[in-house]
Amino acid sequence: MTELGLSGWAARLRLDKYSAVYLLIAFFIFFGLTEGDTFLTWTSTRLVLTEKAIVGVLALAFLIPLAADTFDLSIGAVMSFSLVIVNSLALNTDIPTGVAAVIAIAACAVVGFVSGFIVVRLGVNSFIATLGMSQVVSGIILAISDNRQITRAIGDTYRDFGRTNVFGLPLYFWYMILLAIVLWYVLEHTPLGRYLFATGGNREAARLSGISTDTLTWASLVVSAVIAGFAGIIWSWKVGTFSNSVGPGFLFPAVAAVFFGASQLRGRANVWGTLLAVYALAFGVKGLQLRFSTNTFWIEPLFEGVTLIIAVAIAARKGIIKVKRRDRTPTDLAIEPDAP
Amino acid sequence: MLTIEHLAKHFPGQIALDDVDLEIAAGQIHALVGQNGSGKSTLIKCLAGYHEPTGDAPATFAPPSGGSAVRFDLAGGAAVDRVGIRFVHQDLALVDGMSAAENLALGSGFTTARMGRIRWSAEVARAEAALSDLGFADFDVRLPVGALTPAQKTAVAIARAVAESDDPAKSNVRLLILDEPTASLPGDDVVRLFTALEQLKARGVAILYVSHHLDEIFRIADVVTVLRDGRRVATKPIAELDHGSLIELMIGREMAAVERPPVSITESSRALVVRGLEGGTVRRLDLDVRAGEIVGVAGITGSGREDVVGLIIGQTPSASGSVSVGGQPVPPYRPRAGIAAGMASLPGDRKRLGIVPLLPVADNITLGNVEGHWRRGRLDRNAELHEAREWVERLSIITAGVLAPIGVLSGGNQQKALFARALRMAPGLLVLDEPTHGIDVGAKADIHELLDHAAADGAAVLVATTDTEELVRLTHRVVVMRGGEAVAELSGADLTVASIEHAQLAPEEAIV
Repeated sequence: MTELGLSGWAARLRLDKYSAVYLLIAFFIFFGLTEGDTFLTWTSTRLVLTEKAIVGVLALAFLIPLAADTFDLSIGAVMSFSLVIVNSLALNTDIPTGVAAVIAIAACAVVGFVSGFIVVRLGVNSFIATLGMSQVVSGIILAISDNRQITRAIGDTYRDFGRTNVFGLPLYFWYMILLAIVLWYVLEHTPLGRYLFATGGNREAARLSGISTDTLTWASLVVSAVIAGFAGIIWSWKVGTFSNSVGPGFLFPAVAAVFFGASQLRGRANVWGTLLAVYALAFGVKGLQLRFSTNTFWIEPLFEGVTLIIAVAIAARKGIIKVKRRDRTPTDLAIEPDAP
Repeated sequence: MLTIEHLAKHFPGQIALDDVDLEIAAGQIHALVGQNGSGKSTLIKCLAGYHEPTGDAPATFAPPSGGSAVRFDLAGGAAVDRVGIRFVHQDLALVDGMSAAENLALGSGFTTARMGRIRWSAEVARAEAALSDLGFADFDVRLPVGALTPAQKTAVAIARAVAESDDPAKSNVRLLILDEPTASLPGDDVVRLFTALEQLKARGVAILYVSHHLDEIFRIADVVTVLRDGRRVATKPIAELDHGSLIELMIGREMAAVERPPVSITESSRALVVRGLEGGTVRRLDLDVRAGEIVGVAGITGSGREDVVGLIIGQTPSASGSVSVGGQPVPPYRPRAGIAAGMASLPGDRKRLGIVPLLPVADNITLGNVEGHWRRGRLDRNAELHEAREWVERLSIITAGVLAPIGVLSGGNQQKALFARALRMAPGLLVLDEPTHGIDVGAKADIHELLDHAAADGAAVLVATTDTEELVRLTHRVVVMRGGEAVAELSGADLTVASIEHAQLAPEEAIV
């Protein structure tokens, strides 16, 4: 495959499919050499692995509807929604926090259901529908929280469900891995996953071949809201407190990771490519932060933005994301059958 | 006027064009024919500068008005400016939401007054003039293009292509290249298009006409060039050829005379019963198809023919009426219910309604039904690929493999893959819309044979098509639509191209 115009060695290394892997290796070599005493330590590796688990979960939430060519831009707000519900139930009622978490996730499912209704029944473009829902949910969050932080509402026993260390990493990291395995299985090894991707590839063709595209789209939005709600629960284990700024800020890195990940491994949006992308970006940011030591708050958005653009440019060239490029599919090349 | 020598285009692993020479004279309608994959599109794209030719492709341009000939190399896409080549592609590339006048101005630039204000009245006048030159003075150029008939749209695209440019750096149009211009045109509109082309021809514009419709070529072309496997097989005046010899040149073998297979309907059970169906342009349609029978639906565009299949398979919602398949009622707008009742379909618009372009051939064949490969808690991919390979072999689908994205296959092979998708369901009823639209002679014959076999095995088949010859070749019985209603039914000795064409037109038109 020399479609990218890569020279021989680059094509052999499959830079197009494994760029995140090479990027990760490059980061480790480069920052390992320059910042060896800080970057190449278990402490900093562990920090990155746990810090980005929430982005990883949110990215997986974004991935599910995207497989069906549906955007869910409300995941950041929904995460925040679940967090505020847990916190305010813990603060204002006697409901055990574990039960509050279940209620929060159920409430998120309702948000997803409404998004699905707007997209499927009202026929609103998913980009607009979920952007609108995101804002609606933000309003509800402000009403519930009365625009205040909620701190010290959540007890330690509850938080231990998620933050107890297993094999040196907190449980919630392993929950993310478990979630990834489940989603990978569903997307890649069940008819359901195939029908989602078929819906995403050509909705009307999928419908005409008997796939319930409306139900799938609707369900995918419910699932993404539930997973986003779970991300809020992880935050309640990890940090505990609610504040307005939690949630929306995670949308971009999650979306960036899914699109970057779509260019990796499978040639379409996929679970492991997404997580690989989350961590390739995270280690890159970490290394740069250590390199420039002070005042490095600007590195993360800059780096994530640039990576997203480069990743999508590569994906567009490869035709992974639906962008037409000239000279890519020489349909006139196909050979017709020989005389029978 | 324009001579091109030794044009070649190699793609990795394939030679799309191999040493092709082409001579086009001013005021000549030059047809370019060949099967899919013969190199027609590549040749056009080389002329357009879209593909870079492999090696030198010296071209000579001799201005028809006299003057010295210019030699140049086709590489670098110089032909477009040097010679004044314009293109009208199959999809016309019009902006549906803009008016005809605006679409014309998109090509040649808007006339502006002070402060860059567009002079709309001038634009409208210019568009009206350009279109009436082509014999299309009958519609409001201020209407959005989306509201026009297919013929009017084609006229807008042609008018835009041949509009004289004020820019001295561009030479005026000398050669117009039309790629399948009649693909979406009903019969009588084709005649109008041809009139427009004759006008251009009289102005000295040469036309390179690419089409699968051989009858059109015999009606309008002066000279025909045949490509096969990337090589030029012949360039001959049309008068020296007839249908049979042209097809022979295209496919490199003699084609057996079209002959209807013997009809034997042993079973009388009705696989499809349609009663009082309304929706789109269709009014009160009753239709029965029995097992083992191939029934055709004919009609010009606008007659209702184009909506019949969509209504039956649940692609479009019906307003009233009933459809039942194998005795089971099928609710409207529910393709899934139809499939459950044993109906398989091949929708008309392959790209929009059929293929999932980025998915592999295998996934496209099994699309919508992979439950059969569910084993021990996961999809058995190997079993699925095995099944796909069997279909590829059985229908002689030409592809680099079952894992190649279906989007890179030629139209005919995509269509065969969609046939595989339908046939693997072992349907009791097959409903097809324009099954051989835009595909070449060889693949078309293969698809006809597939349908013969499906019917012989007991499937009921309903085919809606504008291809009258196909109806005669394929069907036992043809229902002719006009004004949204079924107005005639032809079978046996009455089923001929002439009788169908006659029944399609309203009585007063038929007299003319």
